Amino acid sequence: MVPPQYYLLLSAAVFCIGIFGLLTRRNALLFLMSVELMLNAANINLVAFSYYWGNVTGQTFTLFTLALAAAEVAVGLGIILVLYRNFDGVDVTNATTMRW
Amino acid sequence: MTPLQTLPEWAATAPAIVLALTGLALLLIDTIDPDSTNNGLLAGTATLGALAAGGIAAWFLIGGTGMESTGGAISLYGDALVVDGMSLFFTLIFTSVTAMVTVASYDYLADEEYQGEFYSLVIFAATGMTLMGMSNSLATVFVSLELASLPSYALVAFLKKDRGSIEAGLKYFLIGALSSAVFAFGISLVFAVTGSLVLPEVAATLAEGTELVGVLGLGVLMIAGGFAFKTASVPFHFWAPEAYEGAPAPVSAFLSSASKAAGFAVAFRVFTVAFPLETVTAIGGGSVDWSLLFALLAVVTMTLGNFAAATQENVKRMLAYSSIGHAGYALIGLAAITVDGGAANGDVLGASMAHLLVYGFMNTGAFLFIAMVEKWGLGRTFEDYNGIASKAPIAATAMTVFMFSLAGLPPFGGFVSKYALFYSAIESGFWWLAAVGAVNSALSLFYYSRVVKAMWIEEPSKPLEIGSQPVGLYVAVIFAAVGTVLLLPGFQPVIETAQTVAAALF
Amino acid sequence: MSDWIAIGAMGLVGVGLPLAMMAVSALLRPSVPEQGKSATYESGEVPTGTARVQFNIQYYMVALLFLVFDIETVLIFPWTVIYRSALEQGASLATVLTPMLVFIGVLVVGLVWAWRNGAVKWVKSPQASRRKTERKDA
Repeated sequence: MVPPQYYLLLSAAVFCIGIFGLLTRRNALLFLMSVELMLNAANINLVAFSYYWGNVTGQTFTLFTLALAAAEVAVGLGIILVLYRNFDGVDVTNATTMRW
Repeated sequence: MTPLQTLPEWAATAPAIVLALTGLALLLIDTIDPDSTNNGLLAGTATLGALAAGGIAAWFLIGGTGMESTGGAISLYGDALVVDGMSLFFTLIFTSVTAMVTVASYDYLADEEYQGEFYSLVIFAATGMTLMGMSNSLATVFVSLELASLPSYALVAFLKKDRGSIEAGLKYFLIGALSSAVFAFGISLVFAVTGSLVLPEVAATLAEGTELVGVLGLGVLMIAGGFAFKTASVPFHFWAPEAYEGAPAPVSAFLSSASKAAGFAVAFRVFTVAFPLETVTAIGGGSVDWSLLFALLAVVTMTLGNFAAATQENVKRMLAYSSIGHAGYALIGLAAITVDGGAANGDVLGASMAHLLVYGFMNTGAFLFIAMVEKWGLGRTFEDYNGIASKAPIAATAMTVFMFSLAGLPPFGGFVSKYALFYSAIESGFWWLAAVGAVNSALSLFYYSRVVKAMWIEEPSKPLEIGSQPVGLYVAVIFAAVGTVLLLPGFQPVIETAQTVAAALF
Repeated sequence: MSDWIAIGAMGLVGVGLPLAMMAVSALLRPSVPEQGKSATYESGEVPTGTARVQFNIQYYMVALLFLVFDIETVLIFPWTVIYRSALEQGASLATVLTPMLVFIGVLVVGLVWAWRNGAVKWVKSPQASRRKTERKDA
């Protein structure tokens, strides 16, 4: 089978793409998409090593992280909706009333 | 005889069950008549639920549930949950803060809509925090951490028409989502190295040695990063000043006291049970010395929190930075752990836990006083606090108690808890941590006394009008003040319990 | 030789063939841009306004509720997989069934709350109610 190092590399690559997207995006929805990418990178890792170690713990926990990502997005979209109504747009750099 | 000898084993998680049932009951109360809200009934149910859960936790703690005398920790559901003295101690912290916040919210929310949602979110967050104290598996840690965080995001953004609240909620949510993704990736890396998520099994697998030390180190670092977010420590503290400043003041109280203590509860358990220092520093290829990492974080957090607080003009933001500083003090509990510490490790961890209990009372009280001032409509800067003492002497006295206790002055609870913390750090050989802590405490006296000076000594620039006497807020603030004062003579049983339950982890 | 060379070749051809066809035809065809050719196709009608319509907020509510109950379904699946073998290995019916009933019960409470608070009531967007009155007057 595919050696586990390749899976580590793949998940690290996806994670880094997610971090890049997160740090450079001004649109809140694209920010959320990058967070989803990062969570799915963790899922890749968990499933791959669940096969490597031979137990289903990793796969079961993957179900939980999927459920959690969904719940987080639900809450996040609600907050983004309120942001849109008050700050006229989903640009996260718009909301700067409180500063250093 | 302990209570648990007559009850089934799953009843050990009774505090969490009671809180969850209270949350569901609040939702059901809200469905009875969707067009009107019964603020009193909702606040009463929430407070009763929190107090019941706290009472059960105290009863279990006094009866010795989960401690060495009655057969050790109770582990449930395939080692996913563990009920021992530490989880019961932290449950006490969470439920007392929740009760104070729900009593205060009765007045604060009197004119708002969506009241049922507010109370149920607070109780669900408290359930998550209680489960965080009881979790024994990285999976449970992650799920309960999110159960505590997701309602908090919604609570911070609760005032839908207030731009400050929404901005605070947005920033808190974005950074929280980032940190939960980093935390999940860290858990997946630890799983990659050890093949298990249950904390004792992780430690056992690491004790057999592994060659993937780099992956393990990265995983431990990311997990530490997730905890640094939850406890608002540097370098993931950026959300805290905005979130505490913009959120409704009872929510700030809830977040900065209970949520922070929950982060510490789970950090203490994960790092001492899953990555015990003697195991991870002795792995073949290298060593993962997390106590050094936490020592660094503690120093930077204390310093940054206190120095930033000294420069603020807004009282709420000053308190936010001061809570970052206090997270630094509590981090000393993890930083001062040594490989051959033995009993000293339990002492310093227990002192940190006791400090979190005292801090819960002081900090909640301070933020609830700010809630009262917001209700009176006086404004948020130091100048707006001028002369409050002449109109509301009782509340101003309570705030003085909180400020001096936070600074660590005798004769209040904050003094003994900081003293115990620094003393046990010196006993473990970390005198420089205690020195940095003491210097920062001395500096903090400056900005805490600014508030006291403004209230008692300064004259208001225009005549002060205090309209109402909100009962709920007064009750909560006075309760917090009484608790802070009583924790000075009553500190002995607290610190003994804390150090005993902490020593059980080692 | 490695077995992966075949897959690499297939990937290359799969990506390269359409790209090559598009490139060759772009090079060989005459280029005559015209307004009628570049307008949006609307099955013969003349297009008015932009494609961005403000959606009714109720779609978001329905999508959110769907998401929550879909995840609930996902989490029920592992339980159904081990249900029979757990019963055969001697666990009592109560210990196997009760946790799942509690789980579904919690979500039912949430659904009842959402239902009573109007999350599934179809509220017309202001644009829709405007159009309805316009059609009535016409």
